[in-house]
Amino acid sequence: MIGTKSFEAIVNGEQVKLNIPQNLRLIDVLRNYLGLTGTKEGCGEGECGACTVLVDGEPYNSCLLFALQVQNKNILTIEGLASYNNLHPLQESFLEHGAVQCGYCTPGMLLVAKALLDKNPNPTREEIKVAISGNLCRCTGYSKIVDAISAVAEKGVKR
Amino acid sequence: MGVEFYKPQKLEDVLDVLATKKGPLKILAGGTDLMLDIRNKKYEVAGIVDINLLSELKNISVEGEFIKIGSLVTFTQLANSTLLQERVPFLVEAANSVGAPQIRNQGTIGGNIANASPAADSVVPLIALDAICSVLSPLGNRDIPLNQLLCGVGKTRLASDELIVEVKFKLPRKITRSAFVKFGRRNALAIARMSVAILLGLDGNKVNAARVALGAVAPNPFRSLELENMFLNKAMEEIDVDEVIARSSMVVSQALGNRPSAKWKNEAIKGLMRQVLSKIGIM
Repeated sequence: MIGTKSFEAIVNGEQVKLNIPQNLRLIDVLRNYLGLTGTKEGCGEGECGACTVLVDGEPYNSCLLFALQVQNKNILTIEGLASYNNLHPLQESFLEHGAVQCGYCTPGMLLVAKALLDKNPNPTREEIKVAISGNLCRCTGYSKIVDAISAVAEKGVKR
Repeated sequence: MGVEFYKPQKLEDVLDVLATKKGPLKILAGGTDLMLDIRNKKYEVAGIVDINLLSELKNISVEGEFIKIGSLVTFTQLANSTLLQERVPFLVEAANSVGAPQIRNQGTIGGNIANASPAADSVVPLIALDAICSVLSPLGNRDIPLNQLLCGVGKTRLASDELIVEVKFKLPRKITRSAFVKFGRRNALAIARMSVAILLGLDGNKVNAARVALGAVAPNPFRSLELENMFLNKAMEEIDVDEVIARSSMVVSQALGNRPSAKWKNEAIKGLMRQVLSKIGIM
């Protein structure tokens, strides 16, 4: 098709290759081309963090990235965090602590938490707050989210 | 019609794209602003030139008496640099005050400059440091002082085929104190409503170098020589804090003229100045 370009990346451990319009955002590729609708679009302006994905292990807002910008990178979305049968320890902990209410911010929250714990297995509450500072939650008041992440860190669960 | 996405692998390929491909072209560094500008149709774009494969623009180094920062260095990289933490902590503070972790991972120092926002956080300490930008074009390399490169809200003196490759500034002497404070609507993600960067060089207890830069009170951040003179050649305890605070309010009033924001900013600067002075240990 005229005007498209080949996009290749590893998404949740799988090599993908697609032809996409050249100015497409990463979030659009994930949701509309790959069916990975766990990544949510909130503000679409990089303010809310709902669309957070990990690119080579670091959190980015997928609404602010052109897909072709992350060509050949390793991308993790919420669908790749765990399997349907075995939740990730962070997911278990979010459930246990009531850190999920409407759920719209949850995929982004879980991914920034994973990125934090991968680098810093024993963060302080302050470090957790900084890590989630780019993710808005209008339901929980944040305390339960910080509790949930903190509990996983304390258990030292292998991630 | 469609937008062409270019992803050159080498500097000379970037220059070639900028010189030969159908414009208007926009250079993509981090893209946090570019993405929104394009989507909001702030300008027309025929091509996006993604320079992220140029790994040579992603380094922070010391060369002679200069610290050199590649234009693709992200705010996260600035914040994590031990060199910058030791020698220019206020630049690290400014980098840490940008947006949120996601934005700091993506946004770059070169992009912050090229966008020429009045509120650009990293630009305020860079102005205080008299930073110089190295700019490359098919005609060759040229150095432009940052304060001359910026020429209004969202405006620079960069030609359409020019690329910022590096920002450099003289390494401050070891015995300096510096601080950056910013006033935003909330802690995370806020665009600066106003910011102050200050750097004092000390000889014993005496201030022998002073830089004070203000952000978001003029089209671009600027140094206030008037405020700097109130520190120069004084012992730390001789600095008249009340006088500095009062004068800073006048400087802001002058810079803003009869803009509506002058009324609150010339008050708010007093608190901001108090904070920055307390951070460097003057009060």
